[in-house]
Amino acid sequence: MADDIVLDVRDLRVNFGPVRAVDGVSLAISRGPFGIALVGESGSGKTTVGRAVLRLVPAVGGTITFDGQDVLGLRGPRLRAYRRAVQIVFQDADNSLDPRMRIGATIGEVLAAHGLAARGAVADRVAALLAEAALDPALASRYPHQLSGGQRQRVAIARALAVAPRLLVLDEPTSALDVTAQARILALVSRLRDERQLAYLLITHNLAIIPGLCEQMVVLYLGRVVEAGPTGDLLARPAHPYTLALRSAVPEVEAAARRSRIILPGDPPHAAAPPPGCPFHPRCPLAVEICRTKVPQPRPVASGRQVACHRGDEVLAGLRPPGAPAQLAGEP
Amino acid sequence: MTALLKKSPLITAGGLIALLIVLVALAAPLLAPYPPDAIHPEMALQAPSLHHLFGTDQVGRDVFSRVIYGARVSPLVALLVLLFACAVGIPLGVLAGYFGGAGDEIIMRVTDIFLAFPSLLLALAFAAVLPPSLTSLTIAITITWWPWYARLVRGQAASVAGRPYVEACRALGMPSWRILLRHVLPNSVTPVIVQVSLDFGGVILTASALSFLGLGAQDPTPDWGLMVAEGENYFTTQWWLVTFPGLAILVTALAFTLLGDGLRDVLDPRRVVLR
Amino acid sequence: MKLEIRDLRVSFGGRPVASVPELAVDGGEIVGLAGESGSGKSMTILAVLGLAETAGAAVSGSVRLDGQELVGLSGAGLRAIRGARIAAIFQSPSLAFNPVFRVGAIVSRALRQHGLSAAQARERADAAMRSVLLSPDLLSRYPAQLSGGQLQRVAIALALALRAEVLLADEPTSALDVTVQAEVLELLRELRDSRGMAILFVSHDLAVIAELCDRVAVMRAGQVVEQGPTGQVIAAPRHEYTRELLAAVPRLGS
Repeated sequence: MADDIVLDVRDLRVNFGPVRAVDGVSLAISRGPFGIALVGESGSGKTTVGRAVLRLVPAVGGTITFDGQDVLGLRGPRLRAYRRAVQIVFQDADNSLDPRMRIGATIGEVLAAHGLAARGAVADRVAALLAEAALDPALASRYPHQLSGGQRQRVAIARALAVAPRLLVLDEPTSALDVTAQARILALVSRLRDERQLAYLLITHNLAIIPGLCEQMVVLYLGRVVEAGPTGDLLARPAHPYTLALRSAVPEVEAAARRSRIILPGDPPHAAAPPPGCPFHPRCPLAVEICRTKVPQPRPVASGRQVACHRGDEVLAGLRPPGAPAQLAGEP
Repeated sequence: MTALLKKSPLITAGGLIALLIVLVALAAPLLAPYPPDAIHPEMALQAPSLHHLFGTDQVGRDVFSRVIYGARVSPLVALLVLLFACAVGIPLGVLAGYFGGAGDEIIMRVTDIFLAFPSLLLALAFAAVLPPSLTSLTIAITITWWPWYARLVRGQAASVAGRPYVEACRALGMPSWRILLRHVLPNSVTPVIVQVSLDFGGVILTASALSFLGLGAQDPTPDWGLMVAEGENYFTTQWWLVTFPGLAILVTALAFTLLGDGLRDVLDPRRVVLR
Repeated sequence: MKLEIRDLRVSFGGRPVASVPELAVDGGEIVGLAGESGSGKSMTILAVLGLAETAGAAVSGSVRLDGQELVGLSGAGLRAIRGARIAAIFQSPSLAFNPVFRVGAIVSRALRQHGLSAAQARERADAAMRSVLLSPDLLSRYPAQLSGGQLQRVAIALALALRAEVLLADEPTSALDVTVQAEVLELLRELRDSRGMAILFVSHDLAVIAELCDRVAVMRAGQVVEQGPTGQVIAAPRHEYTRELLAAVPRLGS
């Protein structure tokens, strides 16, 4: 329903010079509590989508609307208001905090800049935010280098929460963290989702963290959406060969959960020179003639499911690649 | 303090001597046995003695007192030059580095022009155009000095502008002035702080050189460079006229340069011990 | 056993950073060293290579390669062993290759250093590249022109070309995309099975260790807290920290 959608991205395009980092991505984020994952490997454009939503990089095409309002054209005070409603937590926890400022000052500054707390109330608000992020409020007097990576990331989350956003973009929030720190961050996000009715866009390359956090997921490859749909269904019955390979590549602790590996030959291509036709076809174990010439567009393939693949219905129905012969990578 | 001494004997030595020079400058009236411009032609060109530790010059002025009062001149000029050069160079550098674009291009090309000339010659050119005085000297050297700082800061500011925490500030909707003032500026000035302390000695030398050439301090101001110039012709016979002011220049420049070296060691970000 | 570590202690200025009472890797098996940052696993690798002292650490204990003691070995002795008998690959493959040289030049220099002629070096390098499923043409490229996954495979190719018997891998796939990681892990299995290599695999990713390693030692704060066949450690962890680690690993299969 249109009322339920808080962020609507349509056909977004972002270029870095001649490189089409994001080449026509559409996704919709519902009102909180809600989680949607944006999955992809390097070169997929997923981080760029997150940045474009925050207006940190310019879009060259497409639209983004927030609560029905155009986002890409916002300027001045309305842009600042938007930045209270939508926030981002970056991947690089080590460097997203000013090394010369104490934690309390970093968070307090945000409150001051937006006039969100009276002078005397800032310290209390900061303490409350730190506590909400499961951090000891006494950490406010420390410097970033005195904290662990996991703690720094939680400070970044607390800072993002200072403006009381309705939508949070989490850009690979746990990639640089140890597994126990990662578990704590994911638990925090889950709790915040319930307590603050938060909607979030989780950008990640790690499929394993998605179930349990995100109801919907979108798979990107080379700047385009290859598959989208409800998480459980999509992971259980993928409709795109890339999703198949991605899912099979995830290492599993439980032996019983492991699937036979689909090894994709070659490396993810550079966005500067996309292949003709389907961008995935050179590595696709199920590619046929049409894949080399015609670019597949996202189309509905089942209820709530979209796929951009000429053989999407077959994959959904159970088509699997035979043992892929080893092709020497780099050979012309 | 003792930790500092252990960690960096350079900074301590330089710092102490520099402090000494400042104290001498401040306490000049108390320390100098004679007024620096008291002329006694009958006492001219006397060798160093108990009454006149550094001897007297060609018009009978006590060299020791003049050298002490001279501590007020060169360091003050250096201080003013560096202060103004920073006041002009740092803001321009920060703005150029952070915003980039056309403004950056313009500012950088202007600094290019200034930096294309050897600084002493450029200062000379400006000083020659202005009526010779300490003020003109200060202005002339400041003009040639600010481009260095602008350049230095601009590089650092450009690097800081791309750092994740600055991007985070933009994402958090903070206005540019706030980002510049509270994040970019503090993280960009360290190289300048070090450079300033290293340059102190350099400015003193430049100022002395220009005064030596007659383009700065004028008689009877007890500027060390001027004193060297005035005593130049007497060098082989009345060596004290040149030697003591010259030593004063040397020691002061050295002290501040050591201070700068030591400061750089201490402030070097790579020395910051991370967790 | 190919590689035997006994009572290995690594310390920095009196502060112990890694302590391994007993760890062995045989030819044809992959042993995992699991732990989070600060657990001492990377220091252990450096100590085996004889590089810990260079980093300023003090090393005591025993590391034997086919019975030969490596701790305390002379510089020349260690240099003969490194590369030729024990090879290592690290997390950031781009850091291992000097960016101003072509990849092939780096590889052939390493080979020639261990006694091969130029012609032999080229032949071995080409063969090794094929073994890691890379075209030998890639050797003429600069490191910046290769992806992380390709560079990692070149590093493995170098180990193969040198006929190394032991491979130390310190988080070799942490910086790689998951599909590329799958390829590299497959390659390591190949090396174990068809070449009989002894591989010591260090990682913070328990899922990767679970899939790849025959045996595993779990480290925490410089101590080995648990050790044993992977299946056993995962199914029935005895130490609380191991249980904590396992509980924190996100499961896709669930």
